[in-house]
Amino acid sequence: MNRYLKLVNMEIHRFRYILASLMVVTLLSQCGSLIWTIQRVVSAKEKGLTQAEVGFAIPKFLSFPWAIVNTKVWFILPILLSITVLVLYSMIIWYRDWFGRSTFIYRLLMLPSARWVLYVSKLTAILTFVFSMIAFQLVLLVGENMLFKTIVPAGMRTDSTFVEASTIIPVLDTLLPKQFEQFIYSYGLGIIGVIVIFTAVLLERSYRRLGILYAIGYSAACVGVILSPFILGLDRSNSYWYPSEIYTMELAACLLISVISVCLGFWLLRKKITV
Amino acid sequence: MIEVIDVHKRFRGRKVLNGVSFTAEKGQITCLIGINGAGKSTILKAIMGLTPLKSGMIRIDDAPVGPAMYEKVAFVPDHLTTPTGMRLSEGIQFMKDFYRNWNDVRANELLAFFKLDRTERVGNLSKGMAAKYSLLLGLSQDTDYILMDEPFSGIDMFSREIIAEVFSTDLIEDRGVLLTTHEIDDMEHLIDQAVLLQNGSVQLAFDCEEMRTTEGKSVIDVMREVYTG
Repeated sequence: MNRYLKLVNMEIHRFRYILASLMVVTLLSQCGSLIWTIQRVVSAKEKGLTQAEVGFAIPKFLSFPWAIVNTKVWFILPILLSITVLVLYSMIIWYRDWFGRSTFIYRLLMLPSARWVLYVSKLTAILTFVFSMIAFQLVLLVGENMLFKTIVPAGMRTDSTFVEASTIIPVLDTLLPKQFEQFIYSYGLGIIGVIVIFTAVLLERSYRRLGILYAIGYSAACVGVILSPFILGLDRSNSYWYPSEIYTMELAACLLISVISVCLGFWLLRKKITV
Repeated sequence: MIEVIDVHKRFRGRKVLNGVSFTAEKGQITCLIGINGAGKSTILKAIMGLTPLKSGMIRIDDAPVGPAMYEKVAFVPDHLTTPTGMRLSEGIQFMKDFYRNWNDVRANELLAFFKLDRTERVGNLSKGMAAKYSLLLGLSQDTDYILMDEPFSGIDMFSREIIAEVFSTDLIEDRGVLLTTHEIDDMEHLIDQAVLLQNGSVQLAFDCEEMRTTEGKSVIDVMREVYTG
């Protein structure tokens, strides 16, 4: 346990600057565009300008969800950037130990503890980065709401709930689900995705050139199994199966892929990995 | 005792190790000798469980390779194994955190002996200093065996002298040392056993002292006979 926590700590330590950079980019992009959008409209309203004169829509009352929708691109871009970086880092977290002047993987594989600890610590680190970004986005939304209220005079705005703001953009709605069940689905699928990526990387690292084919084949098979109820058309209204049965099949497919991927990853680390 | 028994390994269709068998005893310095591509480094990596084998067996004090072995055997590769962003002190702390056999007093002595600056970043070390740092990380573990891959590779004459000096100290004396080297001149007087490899097979394994006294041949003489016919 102690060694596992130390490895997690080390992985977080190694990614800290990139994580901080993503947070800063998100903060600057979202707050900057929010301030610019709100001030433009508030200024137009204060001067009594019409929509035809300024060239953009001026609502009667401003709301926080309205402000988010109108800064959409700059609001979503840093979120998409963070998602892309974290997905890529799910691979780089392994490859960075193999390449460069220092091959840290030698040291990691020679630690006097079971090698699956290494796998689990890297997975934990990725999840920590994801939830850190989500937590940061939540705090940022609260801060942005306060910023909105500070800039827009009370007479020009209508109050809105926090949920309204986070529902208005589909990406935010997926990242910050309102129901716990939806949270489990979204993040459960995300975790399965990371596990499949880990196994694909370990296949490549174990079998090298041939491993690339194995990794592509394995990833495609995993996607195929998860999507199989839809590919086979089981979800159609005239299907033989009840929705609850299809749901159970999907759940079983996800569990199967998780278990196989983790077991295969552990086995590759223990028996097949090569430096 | 490290036992390598009939080890086979293929890489990209080529037989890298083809039935390699030898032993390395505790308290002795065993040197794996061979031209480039003979399989020297692969053997060390296989002993440390860093590359899988097609067949054969490796045993250390009658036990198979496993996580517990890493407290018993240290490995000094021919390149850095500490992230370049870390400071030397952080690399040492990492070792201290993970290895029960870590000897901090010895690490400090070696830092002074090798004149290494603990605040320096690993990525800023020259090749010679990096080799000394790798050696420090290996020697500061209280292990029964230590494996070294080309400890003198690409290192200047003075650094080589300092590293060679380590081999005649009590840091090495009681341990089993298995090393590979091209710089046999620097090491010949220190080696107890020599294992000559060619095309992934052991061509000859002999006791250096016995060879000198009975046949009057140095390791280099025997190498000439084996490799040049």
